[in-house]
Amino acid sequence: MKFRLAAVLAVVFIVISHVALAQTKIVTLGASLQLTGNNANLGRYFRDGYQVAVDRINEKGGIAIGGVTYRLALRVLDNQSDLNLGVQQYVQLVTRDKVDFLLGPYSSNDTLNDSSVAEKYRIPMVQGGGAAALIFSRGYKYLFGTAPPAENYFGSTVEMMTKLDPRPRTIALLAADDAFDVSLAKGTRALAAHYGFDIVTDQQYSEHNTDFSATLALVKSKAPDAILWGGHETEALNFIRQAKSLDVNARDMFAITVGVPSADFRKALGKDAEYAFGMSPWLASPLLHDQWFGDGAQFARLFQQRFGYEADYHVASAVSDVETFAYALEAAGTLDKDAVRDAIVKSDFECVYAHVRFGETGQIDLPQIVIQVQDGKIVPIYTDHFLNKPRYPLPPWGKRG
Amino acid sequence: MLFAQILVNGVMLGGLYGLMALGMALVWGVLNIVNLAHGAFVMLGGYCVYFLFTGLHLDPFAALPIAMVVMFVVGYLLQRYLLNLIIRSSHLNTLLITFGLDVVLTYLAQLAFSADFRAINPTYAGSNVTLLGVTIPLVRFGAFLTALVLAAALWVMLERTRLGHSIRATSQNLIAARLYGVDPAQLYAVTFGLGAALAGAAGGLYGMVSQVTPYIGATLTAKSFVITIMGGLDNPFGIILGGLFIGIAEALAAIYIGPTFTDAISFGLLVLILVARPARSLRGA
Repeated sequence: MKFRLAAVLAVVFIVISHVALAQTKIVTLGASLQLTGNNANLGRYFRDGYQVAVDRINEKGGIAIGGVTYRLALRVLDNQSDLNLGVQQYVQLVTRDKVDFLLGPYSSNDTLNDSSVAEKYRIPMVQGGGAAALIFSRGYKYLFGTAPPAENYFGSTVEMMTKLDPRPRTIALLAADDAFDVSLAKGTRALAAHYGFDIVTDQQYSEHNTDFSATLALVKSKAPDAILWGGHETEALNFIRQAKSLDVNARDMFAITVGVPSADFRKALGKDAEYAFGMSPWLASPLLHDQWFGDGAQFARLFQQRFGYEADYHVASAVSDVETFAYALEAAGTLDKDAVRDAIVKSDFECVYAHVRFGETGQIDLPQIVIQVQDGKIVPIYTDHFLNKPRYPLPPWGKRG
Repeated sequence: MLFAQILVNGVMLGGLYGLMALGMALVWGVLNIVNLAHGAFVMLGGYCVYFLFTGLHLDPFAALPIAMVVMFVVGYLLQRYLLNLIIRSSHLNTLLITFGLDVVLTYLAQLAFSADFRAINPTYAGSNVTLLGVTIPLVRFGAFLTALVLAAALWVMLERTRLGHSIRATSQNLIAARLYGVDPAQLYAVTFGLGAALAGAAGGLYGMVSQVTPYIGATLTAKSFVITIMGGLDNPFGIILGGLFIGIAEALAAIYIGPTFTDAISFGLLVLILVARPARSLRGA
């Protein structure tokens, strides 16, 4: 008797859960990310950013599309930091896994390639990993970027340099040969010319280069007032450590595009990270209101608690990518790709990352906040005015604490 | 002065390169295995020194011998219980299995240590001395000296000890060596262990001048491969010279051609050398 009752209850439970599952509608977002390989350290920022946003939106009841509640699902594949594999995986996500919309990979090089899949299959892709101008110069209609243009990464830094005392006059510009850094260097040359700085050495190096000793010797021979450096975090670590060991110092300041916002980077360098200027379009702020997370500061705490590391702008932009779809789907009221694409074009919302609005090319434009490592912490220094006092000029390596 | 600095940088870099390649050359010369997992051993050695430095606060140079012992054991066990099973098979099989080993070790390292950057950063990591206007980084100089000392030790071991004689005899004539009582399985394991130990030392030093992540191995394997081809397989000092040659060539190329061309130069030189003197460079292979 007991057995029969248990069997009946089990059947009822299975039927109910199947009915419930059938009634839960799901929108799947797909991405191919660098979870292993050379860029795994930054790839995980996007995975975790996407995941935390999807989970939070679902916890808060999901999204309403045309009066029906949908939950979000995330389908992430590991491209092993392999460009070609990334493209194959995006094709797989679209054709085999049948995901509804696409989120982007990390890095401009990857986005440049992967976004062609989105365009070909006419599926909107929102991404925060690619900032190079080349990505948005192709007239793609289904690609949107939440990373501000690479050309202007040093914009606020160079502007700040005109207001520093003593004012730097000469710049050593060093950048890698990937799509992001090529755009960065091009933009920085124009900025330097605009503000009257003299670029005394302008060097491009191979992406994933590990030895900078020769370049550093050249920089030393030019004795620049400022070093502006672009590349990936792992290269930035090598550059700074080798600069110290070869006693290469700019007279006034040293600024890098990556690393400074990352706790991992500052931990690896220890005291050698002090005085380094960096930039970030995002700092965890209670002034950034968000429908799902409350505000930027609450989000940062939640993220740290869940993943055990500090969120940086990559993470925040990844969250905004997911939220862009959430808002656009609700506005479109349908899963139709073109309707959602049109709704993304009209995006206008505030989130933990920024106020999201896309320009004509599909890319967001945000000011970069100049930041500096002071006593192991990030201190915001400059936007279009000074926020805090910079530690300036840079002391020689031998005279740092 | 710039030229002198570039030259010194090249020599220092080359010393580290040479040390990285020593272990690969030993294994290739004796076991006839091109160990594609060599860079992964360098990486594991780097982690070993990193954790000894951060966990037990051991000076990284003092931690090197411990890392070498650990890596010797790892290498010994891998050869004894895995690679010995396929040592008589074709080159392709040994390439495949060491490639597989490289992939497994790399992914295990990411699982165990994450993809975070680990820099071995003792207080003197950035120290240097300036002589006649040329700056010499102390850690790189230490790495250079370590490379010379280990190359010399390897040479003495191969030339003057019973173990070295056995290793050389086995690489020259396996049947004759067996007739004289050499146990090849044991000897191969010891040799592979020594190769891994040398890689481990290189990894510790690499972590002091750069940083350790699970993914540094592939590039270092490629670099070691080039140097091994250039230096030949029969003399440890040839390997160090090969390292110096590549180090100086890369440093000069970075300045006078452009930093984006350093890899093209080292691999271009490899092609030239293979074309110019294939018999000499591959003797003993």
